[in-house]
Amino acid sequence: MSKTFKIGGVHPHDSKFSRNCAIEVLPLPQTVYISMAQHLGAPAVPCVAVGDKVKAGQVIAEPAPRALSAYVHSSVSGTVKSIGPRKDIAGNNQNHIEILVEGDEWAEGIDLSTDLVTTIPTDRAEVLKKIQMGGVVGLGGATFPAHVKLNPPAGSKAECLILNGAECEPFLTSDNRIMIERSKEIVVGAAIMQMVLGGCPCVIGIEENKPEAIAAMNKAVSELGYPGISVMVLMKKYPQGGEKQLINAVMGREVGSGALPISAGAVVQNVATSLAVYEAVQKNKPLVTNTMTITGDCLPVEKQHNYLFRIGMPLSWIAEYAGGVPEGAAKVVSGGPMMGRAISNLDACTVKGSSSLLYLSEKTTKRAAQSNCIRCGKCAEACPMGLEPFLLNKLAKNGMMDELEANAVQDCISCGCCQFSCPACIPLLDTINIAKGQVLGILRARAAAAKAAAEAAKASQK
Amino acid sequence: MNKLLVSPSPHVHTSVSTQSLMRDVVIAMLPAALVSVLFYGWSEILILAVSVISCVGLEYLISKFLLKRPATICDLSAVVTGVLLALNVPPTCPWWVIVIGAIFAIGVAKMTFGGLGQNMFNPAIAGRVFLLVSFPTYMTDWTVPAGFIHATDAVSGATLLGAYAEGGVEAIKGINYLQTLFFNIGGSAGEISACALLVGFVYLLVRKVIRPHITLSIWGTVAVLALIFWAINPAKYPDPIFALLTGGVLLGSIFMATDYVTSPMSAKGGIIFGVGIGLLTVLIRYFGSYPEGVSFAILIMNATVPLINKYCHQKKYGRK
Ligand code: SF4
Ligand code: SF4
Repeated sequence: MSKTFKIGGVHPHDSKFSRNCAIEVLPLPQTVYISMAQHLGAPAVPCVAVGDKVKAGQVIAEPAPRALSAYVHSSVSGTVKSIGPRKDIAGNNQNHIEILVEGDEWAEGIDLSTDLVTTIPTDRAEVLKKIQMGGVVGLGGATFPAHVKLNPPAGSKAECLILNGAECEPFLTSDNRIMIERSKEIVVGAAIMQMVLGGCPCVIGIEENKPEAIAAMNKAVSELGYPGISVMVLMKKYPQGGEKQLINAVMGREVGSGALPISAGAVVQNVATSLAVYEAVQKNKPLVTNTMTITGDCLPVEKQHNYLFRIGMPLSWIAEYAGGVPEGAAKVVSGGPMMGRAISNLDACTVKGSSSLLYLSEKTTKRAAQSNCIRCGKCAEACPMGLEPFLLNKLAKNGMMDELEANAVQDCISCGCCQFSCPACIPLLDTINIAKGQVLGILRARAAAAKAAAEAAKASQK
Repeated sequence: MNKLLVSPSPHVHTSVSTQSLMRDVVIAMLPAALVSVLFYGWSEILILAVSVISCVGLEYLISKFLLKRPATICDLSAVVTGVLLALNVPPTCPWWVIVIGAIFAIGVAKMTFGGLGQNMFNPAIAGRVFLLVSFPTYMTDWTVPAGFIHATDAVSGATLLGAYAEGGVEAIKGINYLQTLFFNIGGSAGEISACALLVGFVYLLVRKVIRPHITLSIWGTVAVLALIFWAINPAKYPDPIFALLTGGVLLGSIFMATDYVTSPMSAKGGIIFGVGIGLLTVLIRYFGSYPEGVSFAILIMNATVPLINKYCHQKKYGRK
């Protein structure tokens, strides 16, 4: 019996139509626009000027000082044409560096060969530095800078490194493809992270609907023979790849409310992140490429693809290259259908964490008119955090902040299971997300006030 | 290119809707309805028709003319109430009594509270209890009309529970449980065949329309309590199987206690709710003045649902 998380979850059709499409390398566009905000935290600060010549893999922006941030590298060689605001997929202005592509010359010291480097370095600090300098961020959705997550605070100990190969979002197949085509590199990446974390065991969790990936990863693990790495087959259930759910499925533990995974002894990284760690550490290649899926329910399978893209490629250019936005697409989503973002602006560009262009038909994606809550409890049954969405929705409508906090709205992971399940088609998550934002604001303000009070008390003691 | 939709996630939705759930409930009641038609014939067809038509019609008229809002009859919840009400009255019940039941069920118990989802009491139960109190003679007339199947082999006459109430354990000696399981003539329409009801229950579980907690905890409680009474005094009290198979325990526990709107949200709450119903059912039967306790038990427990919901929550991830 394959493992899974205990509370809630839903079973949308997995729609992995593009599972057998091998990864193809996209050609280069004429221009790329590289966003400064492609990681969780503060946007990076450009360190090149208009007119500069850059090479692929060269640092073009440095982490914002004294903040959670990450390096950004050029994905192409060419000339910096402009630096300024440009709209991202949600239509918000972000600082972008525009580069005119000239040739394809890579910065020195980057190993572009496909030779597998299996010797694991032993200098922990050095490796962490390389991961940081390579601009590696988590590629499972949150884009949290990897070197921070791999360096747990003093006093906490990693007991298990979990590689997330669940790919529980319907339609997406890029993780499936890299696990099939680049399994050994992923396993070396895992071994590197094991070393960094002090030699804890590593479990690679893969949902059972990806048998080829499971076979390939098992083969790579046994052939490479690193100690303490194993593959765990997980049940097909959304959100299996949610960090908290994966920890529960693999380790049988729960992460306390508001706490970090490391408090339960877990560090979770996506398989794509492991690949990026491999490239950054073993090949000196920073994170400027990733894999994305072109898919949808209104796209014939022969037009679906898994592409190796470079960051900064305009989505409209990729869509055009792939054969254009299909007839009948009512919505284009970046990411999966459960948590991805609807793209309002196809002129936006790929970022490190891009995972798909998902074309959904009106029939699949159009929201039906909502009706009365019939109190069926299906939303609560589906919630993987054990919350009661019908109640949160009601409390939010009435602006009852204290009750929202007491009923743990701040624990919501925005997975969408509740709204997906509601037979009355109530847009539960829309309301809950807003309420969560407000309650988190209140909690932050309270924490800040407590801190200020403590400092004031300290100061008056002196 | 057309304008793209941009709404927040999730971008897909389950195919289960309020309407599909209610349709499943109607389908689950079909075996019981079919059996009742077979045994009670045309009069049962009439009852079903009158009940469904008055429930749906009333809901339509009330929302359209009194509440002045779009009618919600497409969600099929009024059909569910209609079929349930029909299964809850004797086959000889005059049509106008059923219409009054429908008026109370839909008009009072459902629409005055704001319609589906807002009502405190299960409409069909409220209708049945209202009729039981207002028209006791019609509601306990267990004459068996001519059916399409001749029921000589079936247990017939007064309801088994009625017989027991009058004649004690002696009166129900020698009944054949196997037979009761398939056809137990002389109850309200929905109580004829335990088997048909169980088929409906399994269907609801398989289709994931309901969870089993409420129904099973009612059965468990009724069985355990009946067993205790029976063990103490078998000359006075019937055995647990009798207690379970008669008097609408099955009908009530499968189709009425599990009504979403009027039962608790959490599994834990559902168990408390079910145990409460089982307890009250047995107490009313053995010590109350009505032989039949399920309807009253469900109605009383419906009233406790807000309280149960307030104190029973499911386990949250990462919290005690
Ligand atoms: S979106 Fe939030 S409330 Fe809804 S199911 Fe997911 S965690 Fe629960
Ligand atoms: S799933 Fe929808 S209808 Fe059912 S309880 Fe939750 S909010 Fe109400």
